[in-house]
Amino acid sequence: MSCSPFDLRDYYFKDLAENERRLTEVHVKTCAQCREELDRLRGTEAALLTLPDEEIPQRIGFVSDPVFQASAFRRGWDALWGSAARLGFASAAMLSVALITFALIRPASQSGAPAPAIDRAALEADFSRRLNDAVQRAVAQSEARQSSRTQELLATAEKRQELDIQAMRIRFNEYVEVEKKRQNLLLQASNPSEGGDAR
Amino acid sequence: MILRAVEDADLIRKARRGDVEAYNLLISRWERRVYNYLLRIVANREDALDLSQDVFLKAYQNLRKLDDPARFASWLFRIAHNEAYSLFRKRRPEGETEEIQPETLEGAPTVGGNAVFPIELTLAVSGALRKLTADQRETVILKIYQGFKFEEIAEIVSAPVSTVKSRLYTALDLLKLELAPVKARGAI
Repeated sequence: MSCSPFDLRDYYFKDLAENERRLTEVHVKTCAQCREELDRLRGTEAALLTLPDEEIPQRIGFVSDPVFQASAFRRGWDALWGSAARLGFASAAMLSVALITFALIRPASQSGAPAPAIDRAALEADFSRRLNDAVQRAVAQSEARQSSRTQELLATAEKRQELDIQAMRIRFNEYVEVEKKRQNLLLQASNPSEGGDAR
Repeated sequence: MILRAVEDADLIRKARRGDVEAYNLLISRWERRVYNYLLRIVANREDALDLSQDVFLKAYQNLRKLDDPARFASWLFRIAHNEAYSLFRKRRPEGETEEIQPETLEGAPTVGGNAVFPIELTLAVSGALRKLTADQRETVILKIYQGFKFEEIAEIVSAPVSTVKSRLYTALDLLKLELAPVKARGAI
C-alpha cells in the first residue's frame, strides 16, 4: 500500500493537477517504498512495450469512383432546391428594401391640411400591386432559367451515361474475343499432349 | 506534433469535400495504429485487416459528422472499438464478450526450436494480456500502446474516466504479477 499523498499511478500517468504532482514528487524523493512502486510500474510498462507493433499486411486505400457520386437527377434536384432557397431569400430581401424605401419617401402628413385618406390608400394599393407584379415576374424568369439549366444538365448526364455504356460494351466484346482466342489456343496446345499420353 | 495535427485537420477538410487522395494520405498515417489496436483486441490478423478497412470506410462515410477535426484520433478509435465489439457480438450472440479469449498469435521466431530471450518476454506479455478481461486488455492497449489520455479512452469505450482508470490499474496489478517470474529471470 502506497503512503503517497496522491495515487502514485495517477502521478506515473501524469494525471495529477500541478500542485498534487509537486507534492507527490517531493514525497517520492524521500520515500523508498514509493520509489520502488514507481519502478515496478516502469518495469511493467517496459515489459508490455516489448510486444512490437506489426506492419499492416495490406495497405488500405480508396479510389474515386463515379458510382459513388450523386446521380444526375440528384445533382439537378440539389441545384434547383438550392437555387429556390436563394431565390426565396432574394425575394424577401427585395420586399424588405421596397417597404423600407416606401416608408422613408412617403410624404409626411401636413399639419392642418391632412391629405384625403382615400388618396393614400389608393397609392399604397397601387404601389403594392406594382411591387407584387415585379416580384412575380422576377420569380417566373428565374424559375424558367433554372428549369432550362436543369434540363440541360439532365440531357448531358444521360448522353454521358450512354457513351459510357457503349464503351463498356465494346470493351466487354473485345475481352470476350480475346478470351475465346486464348481458350482456342489453349485447347490446340493441350490436344497433342493428351494424344501422346493416351499412346 | 502541433504541425501534424494541423496537417491532419487540413486533410480532413479536403476529404470532406470529396478529395479521395487526401483521405488516402490520412489513412496512410493512421492505418498501422488502427490495425495494431484491432490486432491486439481480436488477435487475428485477417479479422484485424478486415475491420481496419471497415473502420476507414465508415470514417469516410461519416467524416461530416466529426465536429472537431482535432479529435479525429479518438473519433477514429471509437469507430474501431465499435467495429471490434460488433464482431464479438456476431461471434458470440449472447454478448459474453468478457469471456472471449482471442486466438494465440503465431509467428514468434525461435532459435534451434528454443525461444530466445526477448521472445520469451514477448510471449509472456502476450499470454499475460490474454488473461485480462476484454475491457481491461483494451484499456491497456489504448493507454500503453496507443498513448491516449484517460478522457480520450473514456470517450472511445463509452465509460466514465474513473472506470477506465480502475480497469487500467487492476490490469497493471495483474500484469505485474504475471510478468514477475519472467522479470525475475532477467528478461528485462
